[in-house]
Amino acid sequence: MHPLRHPRNAIFLGLLFVGIGLVYLFVPLIGGWHVDYAGATMLIALGAAMSIMAYVLIAGSPND
Amino acid sequence: MATTTLHPAAPTYRGARGTLYEWVTTTDHKKIGIMYLINSFLFFFIGGLLALGVRLELAQPGLQFVTDQTYNELFTMHATFMIFLFIIPILAGFGNYVVPLQIGAPDMAFPRINALSLWMLPLAGILLLISFVTGGSAAAGWTSYSPLSQDRPLAATGSGQDLWIVGLVLIGTSSILGSVNFLVTIFKMRAPGMTLFRMPIMVWTVLVTMVLVLMATPVITSALIMLFIDRNYGGSFFDPANGGDAILYQNVFWFYSHPAVYVMILPAMGMISEILPVFSRKPLFGFKAFIFATAAIGALGFSVWAHHMFTTGAVYLPFFSLMTFLIAVPTGVKMFNWTFTLWRGQLMLKTPLLFALGFLTMFLIGGINGAFSASVPVDFAIHDTYWVVAHIHYVLFGGSVFGVMAGFYYWFPKMTGRMLNETLGRIQFVLMFIGFNLTFFPMHELGLSGMPRRIADYASNAAWNDLNVAATIGGFTIALSMLPFLWNIFVSLRSGPVAGDDPWEGNTLEWATSSPPPPYNFDHLPEIRSERPLFDQRHGQAAGH
Amino acid sequence: MATDSQALTTTTEHSPVGGLAHDSTGGISNPVLGMLLFITSEVMFFSGLFAAYFNVRANAAQWPPINPETGEQFHLAILPFVGPATVLLILSSFTCQFGVWAIRRGDRTLFLRNFAVTFVLGVTFLIMQGIDYALLASEGITLSAGTFGTTYFTLTGFHGAHVFGGVIMLAVVLYRGMAGQFSPRHHDAVEAASLYWHFVDVVWILLFSLLYLLPGK
Repeated sequence: MHPLRHPRNAIFLGLLFVGIGLVYLFVPLIGGWHVDYAGATMLIALGAAMSIMAYVLIAGSPND
Repeated sequence: MATTTLHPAAPTYRGARGTLYEWVTTTDHKKIGIMYLINSFLFFFIGGLLALGVRLELAQPGLQFVTDQTYNELFTMHATFMIFLFIIPILAGFGNYVVPLQIGAPDMAFPRINALSLWMLPLAGILLLISFVTGGSAAAGWTSYSPLSQDRPLAATGSGQDLWIVGLVLIGTSSILGSVNFLVTIFKMRAPGMTLFRMPIMVWTVLVTMVLVLMATPVITSALIMLFIDRNYGGSFFDPANGGDAILYQNVFWFYSHPAVYVMILPAMGMISEILPVFSRKPLFGFKAFIFATAAIGALGFSVWAHHMFTTGAVYLPFFSLMTFLIAVPTGVKMFNWTFTLWRGQLMLKTPLLFALGFLTMFLIGGINGAFSASVPVDFAIHDTYWVVAHIHYVLFGGSVFGVMAGFYYWFPKMTGRMLNETLGRIQFVLMFIGFNLTFFPMHELGLSGMPRRIADYASNAAWNDLNVAATIGGFTIALSMLPFLWNIFVSLRSGPVAGDDPWEGNTLEWATSSPPPPYNFDHLPEIRSERPLFDQRHGQAAGH
Repeated sequence: MATDSQALTTTTEHSPVGGLAHDSTGGISNPVLGMLLFITSEVMFFSGLFAAYFNVRANAAQWPPINPETGEQFHLAILPFVGPATVLLILSSFTCQFGVWAIRRGDRTLFLRNFAVTFVLGVTFLIMQGIDYALLASEGITLSAGTFGTTYFTLTGFHGAHVFGGVIMLAVVLYRGMAGQFSPRHHDAVEAASLYWHFVDVVWILLFSLLYLLPGK
């Protein structure tokens, strides 16, 4: 199957956002700058939601 | 063969007429799409009237027509109607009409939920309109920042603000339900042979838009609910005196409202991507790159929200500035692709192409002045000035509205079976183009020389008078351009030339059925071996992909 | 008792979505896919509320803050209501899933029984939460009790509203089930309702851990 068609790979889209969210959370935390907890929460949740969405859309699509 | 004969058992759809009962209770995506358009244009005119009120007051220094409070209501509701009841729904409406046809489906996945999404909109609109007569509408800007949007310490807004919140929550719910509908339709109901990479760009842009709607809209729902609780139940989310944080509102609000601007532009870009190939008689340049650019814009769109908050001091500036600059890259890719589609094409200078060319040039200006704003030092100077007003209108009017007009002229024949008049279309385009630029170009200078946004009055010695007069004249010219538009629709519906199935020699599936299509959309689908099934059918197959 | 016929569906048990309601074209059925997508949007709704909670918590000098009425820190009691209610809700997810497995096998009686228990457990959760709210109010913890009260009641209140919606969904599914509308091959509404119910449970586990178990500062 083409890599773009495999449901498991679709999750990477969401994991990308989780990754960005974690960077957004930990870089200021470790660097001692102001931490935007609200933004980090929303980004990480976005990643989770995107992963689920991408997975169900690809896995749930017909086989053609 | 480009024509299809209607099955004898299909009810006649000539003029897309039906009884009022039929229209009110329909679950047919085509009728629902048309009603989305009607509702949206209605609020476009209402929002436009409010804008004329703003421009009338600002033409001269001094308060001639309205009080400060009324002025605040005018610009607040202008933006609210335009964003939430015009541009977002009208693009959803075009999507509703066009997407099932372009993927060869008989309807949307959830037709009844489709109808529900539609009818929530006029309901919300009525709530918002009522607020004008129940003590004043919301008046804290469409962004509704705390603490101005809360009644403490100043009683700046009354029940109008609460009606505003409720109205927006309704509209948001309508959008979210719509996004579920579109995503299931696009992923589950494509005709055989229509792989994801053979879908028209319009469908792709709607797809990415709906992902943004699904993910981002609930966040503004939560922000609005928190605001409602603070206003009415003694909540402390945004009240620093009790441990809350006013900036928190902005943070959560913009997490939605930034992706929202891509919701407002991507389907319009999709429409332009349908129109340019047809009217240049050439395939779209860089079809696959387009798809990836659209996805990139959607993804990046989630990571720039705090660029609306640079001056709060609570934002990690380099990250957001960088991401904002980055978005220019996929957008630039699209501009190049559109330009190279036109290059050496056999241009048919009909009204859809005129508006598409208007889109390209005006959106380019909007993109450039946006790129300037991405720079933090520049933003510190122009934040909350008329430079920003220029930017937003160049992308939203110059971009989205011109795109909507292009799409309207393009698909009107399919929806109604009649062609719109070319001369009237050209008159509208010229008036609109001139009026638009006259209104908004001076605002670049006004912003750079320091004129703030959302002020009812300004000093007469600030040297802003002439530019404001120009902008007001421009505003009324835009209003004037609506007259040939409305006349065109009226006249063409009654006695416009009959369109036939495929008046433009289009590439995509909606042109493979009658105008307007039968209720079930297709009697017979052509073979789908590429993203241009109709072109293939007409000219014999090229190498499919 | 009918079993899935491979000749009519192209989704086999090896497919990643093998358990969910099958579609004749292969893949997840439209209503179930729609519910899954709707659930992702609900995740984002709660994310906005959680974002506010974390922000408010980080800005506070002390968490839980001092209750002006008592002079001591606010305290949320796990017993006698919230802890047991949590257990019941988690239990209800199990009974819900047992019900889904039952209808997939064609065992209508077991499906109905399990869903009825799920419904009752859901209602009980709501009642226990309501009583707990009244108790908290008597201790001075209300929506207007500073950021602590506002965030607590908003988060749990909206969760409760979602439980209420889920309870209605379960009632509709029960009614339709008793009317004989579901079969092993056609029970999309059951699958969709159960997915929503699991989501509601997961959100509660998260909320409970955050609000009751996470150490203060």
